[in-house]
Formats: sequence, structure tokens, C-alpha cells
Amino acid sequence: MKGLFLPRRSNGTPTNPSPATPPKKDPQMPQISPLEKRLQDMGPLRGDGSDKFYGMENYGNTCYCNSILQCLYYSVPFREAVINYPQRTPVESLEAALAKNLRYQNPNAHLEAEAQAAKQKAAAPASSARQAGVPPNQPQKPEDKDSPEYKKKVALQTLPLMETKNNAASYGIQSRIGVIRPQQFLDVLRREHEMFRTAMHQDAHEFLNLLLNEVVSNVEAEATKQAFSEKALPPPPSDSADSLGLLTASTGSKSPNTTRWVHELFEGTLTSETKCLTCEKVSQRDEVFLDLSVDLEQHSSVTSCLRKFSAEEMLCERNKFHCDNCGGLQEAEKRMKIKRLPRVLALHLKRFKYTEDLQRLQKLFHRVVYPYHLRLFNTSDDAEDPDRLYELYAVVVHIGGGPYHGHYVAIIKTEDRGWLLFDDELVEPVDKNYVRNFFGDRPGLACAYVLFYQETTLEAVMREQAQEDQASTAAAAEAGDIGRSNGHPASPNNLVQVHSASYVPSEDPNRFTPISKMTTAPQLEPHHEHPESDSSSQQPVQPAQPQPPLPAIPDDPPPRLSPKKSDVQSKKEKAREEKERRAAEKERERNEKARRKELGLHQQMDARREADELRRAIEASKADAADLGPENGSPRKSSSLSFLRRSSRSLSHRLSKDKEPRMSTSDLVPTPVPEAPAKEAEPEQPPVPLTDTPGLSNPKMPSRVLVPPPPPIPKDTKDTKNEKTGQTHRWRSLSFKKASS
Amino acid sequence: MSLFEALLVLPPPPPRYTIPVAYAAGAANGMAVPVVETNNIITHPEGGCPLQVGEGTYILKDDLLLATPPPHPSEAPIINPNPLATVPSPPTAGVKVSLVSLDPRKKPPTFLKTAVTAPPFGDGNAALAAPAPPAKDANKRRKPKNNIIKSSSSFVSRVITHETSAKRLNDRDPNGVFAFANINRAFQWLDLNSTQKEEHLTKVLFTKAHMLCHDINESTKTSSHLDIVMGSSAGDIIWYEPMSQKYARINKNGVINNSPVTHIKWLPGSENLFLASHANGVLVVYDKEKEDALFTPEPAGHPEKNRTRLPLEILKSVNSKNQKTNPVSLWKLANQKVSHFSFSPDQRHLAVVLEDGSLRLMDYLKEEVLDIFRSYYGGLICVCWSPDGKYIVTGGQDDLVTIWSFPERKIVARCQGHNSWVSAVAFDPWRCDQKTYRFGSVGDDCRLLLWDFSVGMLHRPRAHHQTTARHRSSLIVPGTQTSNRHRADSGGNRLRSDSDRTEKFDGDLDPMASHPVEPRARTALLPPIMSKIVGEDPTCWLGFQKDCIMTSSLEGHIRTWERPNDSVV
Repeated sequence: MKGLFLPRRSNGTPTNPSPATPPKKDPQMPQISPLEKRLQDMGPLRGDGSDKFYGMENYGNTCYCNSILQCLYYSVPFREAVINYPQRTPVESLEAALAKNLRYQNPNAHLEAEAQAAKQKAAAPASSARQAGVPPNQPQKPEDKDSPEYKKKVALQTLPLMETKNNAASYGIQSRIGVIRPQQFLDVLRREHEMFRTAMHQDAHEFLNLLLNEVVSNVEAEATKQAFSEKALPPPPSDSADSLGLLTASTGSKSPNTTRWVHELFEGTLTSETKCLTCEKVSQRDEVFLDLSVDLEQHSSVTSCLRKFSAEEMLCERNKFHCDNCGGLQEAEKRMKIKRLPRVLALHLKRFKYTEDLQRLQKLFHRVVYPYHLRLFNTSDDAEDPDRLYELYAVVVHIGGGPYHGHYVAIIKTEDRGWLLFDDELVEPVDKNYVRNFFGDRPGLACAYVLFYQETTLEAVMREQAQEDQASTAAAAEAGDIGRSNGHPASPNNLVQVHSASYVPSEDPNRFTPISKMTTAPQLEPHHEHPESDSSSQQPVQPAQPQPPLPAIPDDPPPRLSPKKSDVQSKKEKAREEKERRAAEKERERNEKARRKELGLHQQMDARREADELRRAIEASKADAADLGPENGSPRKSSSLSFLRRSSRSLSHRLSKDKEPRMSTSDLVPTPVPEAPAKEAEPEQPPVPLTDTPGLSNPKMPSRVLVPPPPPIPKDTKDTKNEKTGQTHRWRSLSFKKASS
Repeated sequence: MSLFEALLVLPPPPPRYTIPVAYAAGAANGMAVPVVETNNIITHPEGGCPLQVGEGTYILKDDLLLATPPPHPSEAPIINPNPLATVPSPPTAGVKVSLVSLDPRKKPPTFLKTAVTAPPFGDGNAALAAPAPPAKDANKRRKPKNNIIKSSSSFVSRVITHETSAKRLNDRDPNGVFAFANINRAFQWLDLNSTQKEEHLTKVLFTKAHMLCHDINESTKTSSHLDIVMGSSAGDIIWYEPMSQKYARINKNGVINNSPVTHIKWLPGSENLFLASHANGVLVVYDKEKEDALFTPEPAGHPEKNRTRLPLEILKSVNSKNQKTNPVSLWKLANQKVSHFSFSPDQRHLAVVLEDGSLRLMDYLKEEVLDIFRSYYGGLICVCWSPDGKYIVTGGQDDLVTIWSFPERKIVARCQGHNSWVSAVAFDPWRCDQKTYRFGSVGDDCRLLLWDFSVGMLHRPRAHHQTTARHRSSLIVPGTQTSNRHRADSGGNRLRSDSDRTEKFDGDLDPMASHPVEPRARTALLPPIMSKIVGEDPTCWLGFQKDCIMTSSLEGHIRTWERPNDSVV
């Protein structure tokens, strides 16, 4: 397995401090895992984490957590939002923070980490240590090599491990594959939630719900906190209630606008129409939901379950309806319909049902079929886009005979590598048809439990199908299996086809097209406050900062945060990157280590200063806003990705008055930002929430400061490019300061 | 905290899968699998499962449960199935039934206004036409070469013939109905008019491959000869003649295409040619008389055709001069599974449904795709034509049965009533006339639904109305013919104007031919006239006969409902 791994790493990132994994294994690399096989030809690591495929260690029945986290990680918009959450601290700051005290800062980090984990890290050191003891070759054992247990063991022994405790080290990992040890995350979870304290089997859906709510509350709490206190100081991590919150622990993100990103993704609105049978009056009540729990029937489909969910229900007898119109309890008819469709539809199949006879929950093994695509029939008449098309992207499967024990795994459709099975430490590519093995009628007690559908468009679906064709054809050409078919392209066998589905050029900017589409959805666009937007705005800033890290680009493997942006803008960036790199290299050398240490200490103080500056800047920008006006439109155009736009908008919202300046800044900044800077800053951490406030504000600042008057868009972009190096320095320093303070 | 830490240190939990014994014995698809060969069981449910509709009540006459064969001895029993095993499980489609009767009175009524004038497939290709040696005598059909009973093939496990099968064949009502049904690795031949209809005449057991689909040639059937083709999960195709117990293998070991055969049908009117769809999105026409040969795609010899116009890759055209061996023609539609297809009553068109959710209408004689429609969402599973060829009905993973107008090339209505995927649809020609149509559908929800629609009713919600003249145009085809490569020759069987056609030549997909999904708000919705749960396992086949309605299910229940008296004219 390592064979593949090593070369890649060495190519990508010589600088990694982590010792290369000891190449104990046979040089020939007898076997590569199916996952590695699928990951071949992926090209260089992307920075956005979309090409990281990490298993997660199971600490004893923590599979509920692992599987849900994996599902969230591979929700592109969710991952982007987490990564772009305003704060990320540079590695140094993270280390400093860790050194200071916070054990628990990590908790947040964990979540993120894992989110990110996937992205980067390959904790080389750990792996090396482990490996030393282990015979490298997996396949020699007499054990059943096909058993998941064996494979997991092998994974733990041979893959790079990412320790969430030691972020700094872990994030340097450049491997695409590995194993995350989410222990800290679990620590926090358990500290904050009694329910999860035991090593007992837990309900994955409950965990999902708790997690989303926790993120929401943490993000909001953080926003409020920041609103009050301008300090950039990181809250004492250990005690903060938000510890669970992925993002929050770090210093606040300051913009309140960012708080709604979870809602934007998962939240929909249900409207319950109640018709009083006495006075015939119809009353409506709206309520929001993050996921839908549907009752199951034997031999039904998800479509049918959703329809039943909205079927009329009689309110009578003990359950009468209090009608305001007639006053008093009356019989009534009630229907629940979906009024606002979520972007990500999480469907919880209620397989655990309380049975009176047994006085306990019992698992239902009903056969419930779920299609790869879905539309909702149960929408209200006034729903926007009632024919929205969803595609299945993740399935959480419960294996076991009852609710109190068993195992969870997740089967997830990745952006461009097809369907993968995430079974704790084990990550394996699977056939598209494999997804259909969990309707509930197969032997083995494995049933789909939570389904994640994300919005898409018919065009995207058709394009994907066309790609599957191409890929399969290509695969067929190579594959030996096809031999029978005479190599005839038309006759690749099924399996081949399936795998092919995953094919996508790694660097292709189109990768994200689905996302952009999503953004196009009416709801999204208007938006407001996506965390993403913040992040995007920030990113520009960061790029500047990171220069020290930039040089690393070649060697620095950890391009995480920035990568996202970079992905988005990949084209533009590439060109710029080169320039930046050179500049960065110079700087890098100077700054590198000395700076890290020093900065780390001073960062926090600086951050405060910066915050003040930002405020001023913002004000100034507001004043300027009128002038800037013309720019708004143009910057947007320039940004290829929709979310950039959003972000810019959201920024504007925050500032409320000075949309324009910001927008221009955000647009400009991101493009110029070289990956490198971002990498450095980001690598460590998305999880580290410390720095944040400044981050948001910074983007604005720089734009103003650097670009004197916001000229017409075109100008700006040019200017920014030219000035990049200069800017980057400044930014970088700013960010560092923030972080350090 | 210490407690937690302690917990964290605990060893991992015990083995995660606790698998009840009952499950361990289950076959890959959840069916209970016996250990030994068993017999079919017939039951006569009392008053069970009446289907009440306007014309009366259909009464369930009997429920024939086919015996699931035990696994082949070479197959290791699944003791402890790993639910996460990534080994692909063999495809299954449940029990399908092919019915055949020699009684002309049992033929479904036809609504075609004129006789079928479609030319034979590949007409004009001398290479193809040549080999047809004059059938000396109608009753003397060519039989396959190998005796299946004495077969030493590893493909066929064994053949179990009923002790008195010869006698039963002699004594039977010559106009009775034979049924052929697949279940698991067995293929059974039943006489439905026999008093012992549950006892098979012959049962063929295959070694590993499962037969997924089969069809009987209507134009060659005689009292002493039946041409059956069946497609297997391994891609292999068997041509089987049950009377003489002879068989031949086609696409042996998947030499032409090794992907499972999802559906198979004799070309209408052809004695030798049949069409098979494979799970990798390929449609292949085979000739039962021809030998296999390694297949090498033949690059398009039709420069006038723009390949990107519509997604049909002709890897071997019927007009190819190389017709000594199979395949006769091979078309690739997509890389998605072809779920099902159906020939139009006028024998010119083909409706194909795929796993990618598309319904593709083809002029198969010309090897062209005419139109592509999309399901509301999810894959399409089944398709059929109305007896007059005006409508096409599909069923799919959106739980909907959808009616499409062929002459108008548009969606007519979506029929909502199933609670799960729709696995089979069929028209009831005995309940159809020029204005009203009856069709039925069955699905994974174990239900049988019956639907009625009439032209007027369907069009109420929508403005457009089709005209009869248009219908005719689709059915009456002026002497089409031969050099059918030429679009100009395509005559009046297409509604589109010539300008549309020319448009098709340039550019990508013909915008006229690839139809978008109609939003729900603009499409008529049709409720069923009857919906009934008919069993406890998913239903997968539906057939209408003059005197009965039949269904079959995943686990092998073949149910027969007698029609109410006088319900059929």
C-alpha cells in the first residue's frame, strides 16, 4: 500500500517534517489496495480536501460517529463551509495555543479535523512508529484477508495516522489516504453530552441531529460572543460550552452572518395545514427541520414513505385540535407538507420502533427501496422549485438485529472517485450497485438507516452518466476482464462500468459544477450569510499572509484551506501561483522558523490591534462604499464559483453598508491568493478557531488598504495581481498577528 | 473523566454481526433456499384476493408456488454472509413467465388499422438474406443441435423430466397454454391447462447462471415445435426446443457480450432473429442459426449519420456485409443497464427503457433513435405499447406509471398509486377499444393495480389534443423500404417535419428529440381503478390472457385470476 503512498508524498511534499513513512514494505509493492487503485491518476493533491479518503478509528462503538462524520465531510457544501469557517489559525498559532493550555481546543479541531482530516494529514510519525512493529505486507496472513476486521487492522497498521491531538504534526500529512483518530472529538462529545458517555451503541441519527444543532448553536454563540467582545483572544477552549461545536471553539468568527450556514444546507420548512372539521377553517403553521424522520412500511419506497409522511391525519378523540376560530377542541384534518426544500435532504428511516409487546425498541427489517435520484411529491402548493431533483450521495447503514447493538458504516458517493464504503478504519471503493444492497431484505441484517440526498440538476445527472460511459469505456480498454469482450469498448462488463462512474479529471474546474448549480438554487443565491462567504473573503487575506508557508508549496503538502478557493479559481490561480511562489520562496526563507515562533507569541496581541484596525477600516469602507459602487457587479462576474459570489454578498451583508468594497476585495483577493499561503495557514487548521475575528475583517481591510480606491473591477483585478506580493506580505502578517494574539 | 478514559481503553466490542441462522441460509437475494430439490405447490385460496373493478370481480383461481432449487453442489453454502461484502451479487429479476398457446382464439385482439407492412429486419442486405434455406415444410422446423438431457456441458446441471411427460403431452388439450418460468437456476415448463398443472413437464437446472428472461417465437410455434430463447445472468443465451429437448448455446461464455441479459425477444415476424438487451447498455440482434465469433466493432459505415446526434453507437450494423456469424447487429445505447424493451405493434419501432431513467424510442429497422424521454426521477424498469401502438406505458423507480403518446411524442399522464418501484406493466387488449385503454401494473410493493384511461379523459387537464389523422400517420406506413439508410426514405412514419430532420444532422443532441422532464404541476395525474396487495413478496411480472390475469412474484408465486363472466367479448 505504501508503495503508492510514498512516491506521492515525496513528490508532493519534501518539506514535510514528518519523516516519510518508513518504507518497510516490499519495494515491489505487491499489492495495492482497491482504494489506491481507484485513486491512481489523481494528480497532485488538491487543497480542499475533496481528494482525501481517510478512515476513522473506532474507539469502541463509535462507528455511529465515524459514519455520520464521513457523510458530512463528503457533503461538498458542508465541508466547504467548515473549512472556510472564519478562523483558521496558522499552524504556529495553533501550536502556541496548544502549548498554552487548551487541551480542549482540539475538540473542535477534531470535528474539523476530521473534516479536514480527510484532507490532509498523514501523520507520518505515528504511522512510522506503528509500522515498525508490523509486518508491512498485508496479504500474507493466513487470516481471512477479505474480512473487514483484517482489512481494518491492516489499515491501522499501514496507513498514515492522523492524530487529532497533535494537529500541527498531523496536518502536515500529505497522503490521500490514512486513518484519523478522532479521540479528542469524542472526548469533547462525551464531556458535553452524557448520553454519549458510555461505550454503548448509539443512534447515528440522534448523533447527526445533535451534531448539527450543536454546530448551529456554537456558531451562533460564537457570533454573539464576538459581537460583544472584540477581542480576538481565543476563549478558553476547555471550558467553553461550545467545545463540541466544530468550528466555534476558536476565536470567534465575527460575523453574525455566518451563523446560518448549517441552516442553508440542511434546513427546510414544513407547513402543517390543519383544517377544522367544524368550521372548515384552515390554519397553517410553519416549522423548520434539519432532517425528516419517516415511518416505514414493508415493501415500500422512500418516495412512498415521504408521501405517507404528508398524508392526511385525523385529529380526533384524545388528540383533538384546538381551533382558534371556533374556540375549543375540534376534530380536524392535518397534513404536513414541505414548503421550503432543503439543499441537503437527510432522511431518517425509522427502523427502530417501539413495540408494546416487547416493551422496547425493535428493529424493522422492512424492505424499503431508495432510488439514486429523488424528487419530493409532498410539497405545498406555494413551494419554490417543487420539482427539485435530488441525488443520493450518502447512506448510513445499520448492521445488527436491534437498536442496542450493531455497527454503522457509511457508503458515500465522492465527488469524483465514485462510491466508497467507509467502515471505521477501512475505506473501500464499491460498485454503484452496492448501494442497493441495503434495502433491508438481504441477509446480514444490514439496512439503510439515514439517507442523504443533495440537490442537483438533470443536466448534472446526465453529464455524470455520460462520464460514466466514457470512464467505463476507458476502463474497459485497460481491464483484463474485458478480454472476453474482445476489447470491444462497448462491452465492458458491469463492474467496470460501475467503477468508472467515479472518473473525473482531478484538476478540472468543473468538478465543482454541481456545487455551483446548487448555489443557483433560488434559496442559496440570495444569500446572505454563508460562512463560506466569510471564508472566501478571508481566504484572500490569508494568501497574503502565508507567504512564509508559500515557499513550501512545493514541499508543503498541506494546502488545505486555500486549496478550496484555489480549486474554485484554479485556472486563475495557477498562473498566479507561479509568481507568488517565487516571491513566497524568498520570503519564506527569511521568515520561516524564526517567524513562526515569534509570531506565535505576538499573534494574539496583534490580532487585537488588527481588530481595531478592521473596525476602522470597515467604517472607512462604508464611507467609501458609495464610491465603490460600480465595482460590485464586476467582481462577481470574475469569480467563477457561485459560492464566491455568495460569500461576497454575505460579507456585504455583514458590513451592511459597504458591500461593494468588500466584494471587490473578496473577489480580488481570492484569485491572487496563492495556494501556498493558504496552505500554511490552513493546514493546521480549520479546526483551530482561534483567530477568527480578524480574519473576516481583514479581507476588507486589505482591499481597502491595498487597493487604494476601488477602481472599476478590471482595474482592481489587475492591480491586485501586480500588488500581490506586496499584499500577500501584509496579509500574511496580519493573519499571523491575529493568530498570535 | 477517568471513567471515560477507562472506557476508551476497553477492548473493541465483540464481533459486530450477529447473524441469525435463518438468515445464514438465505440466498443472496433474501429468499429462503431449500437444501433439497422440492416440488411446486399449488393452493386455491378461498375467496382470497378478489379484484373488484367496474366490469365485475376477478377471482383468484390458484396460486402456484414454484420450487426454488437448492444451490448447485459446487456452490459453497453461505454460512455467515458478510453484509458488507463487496463481491457483486448475481443479478436477479424474479420469476418471469412466458406463455404460449396454439389456439388462435386466444390471440389478443389487434387494433391495427392495416396489416403490418414492416419489412423484415435487415431487408436489403444480401449478406443477411442469403442464408435462409427454404424451410422445406412448415412443420419441419430446424431444431437446435444438442440434446439437453444428455448434455455434458458444464453450463447445464441437469434436466428433470416428469415421469409421464410424454403421455401428458399426448393427452393434453392441443389448445392449452404452456408456461415457461425461471426461478433461481431452474427453468420450468408447465402445462397450465393440465389437471396437474403444478407438476412441471420438464425442469432444467443450470449450474451457475440464472435465466433472467425468455421468449417464445410466435411465428414458428407448432404442436411439435417451440423456439425458446433465454438469457442468463452470465450473458449466455440458450436456444431451447422443449419438445425435442434440444438446445444450442449462443454468445457462449459471453464471447460477444459478457454482461447479463436483461430482456430478450424474438424480432416480430422473424423465425431466426431475436433481440437481447445486456446490462451494459447494449442491444444485440442474434441469429439462432449462426455461430458465435469474437466480436470486433465495425466502425460506422454510415458517414451520413452524425453519431453524436443521438446516443446510439452502431458497433455493428445490420447492413454489415459480414453476416456469417453472430451478432447480426450490435448497438450501444449507453453504459447504463437496459432494463426492458418492447416492440411496437406495427413492428417498426422499439421502446427501450434504461436504468439512467431514459425512455428511448427507436426505429430499429433504420437503427435510429428517434426520441428520448426522461422519467420523473430514477431509473425506468418496464415498458409496453398499447395494442394500437398509440401509447407507450413505462414504470420505474419514481413509483409512477407514465403514459406517453407516441404520435405526439410527449408525456400524457403520470399514474400514481404504487408504493414502491413498478416492475412490470402490460395492456389488457381484451379491455381496450379505440377510445379507452386498460392496463395493469405490478411492483415491489406486492401490488397489482389496474388503470383505465380514455383519450378524452387524459387530455382534460391539458390543452393539446391529438388527432386521429396523426395516429394513422404513425401506423400506416407507405411502402417503406430497403435503402432505409436514407432518411429521405423514411416516409410518413414520423411526425416531424423535414426541417426537423435536417436539424438533426447538425450539432449535438437534437433538441426536438431529447425531451425535458415535465414539471408535476403541468402533467395530468391518473389514479388507479383498482389497487390490491396480491402477495407478500414483490411482484415482478404481469400477463393478461383471454380468460385470466396472471402475475408472478420474486419468490415464485404464479397467481391466476379468472375474469368475471362475459367481461371479455
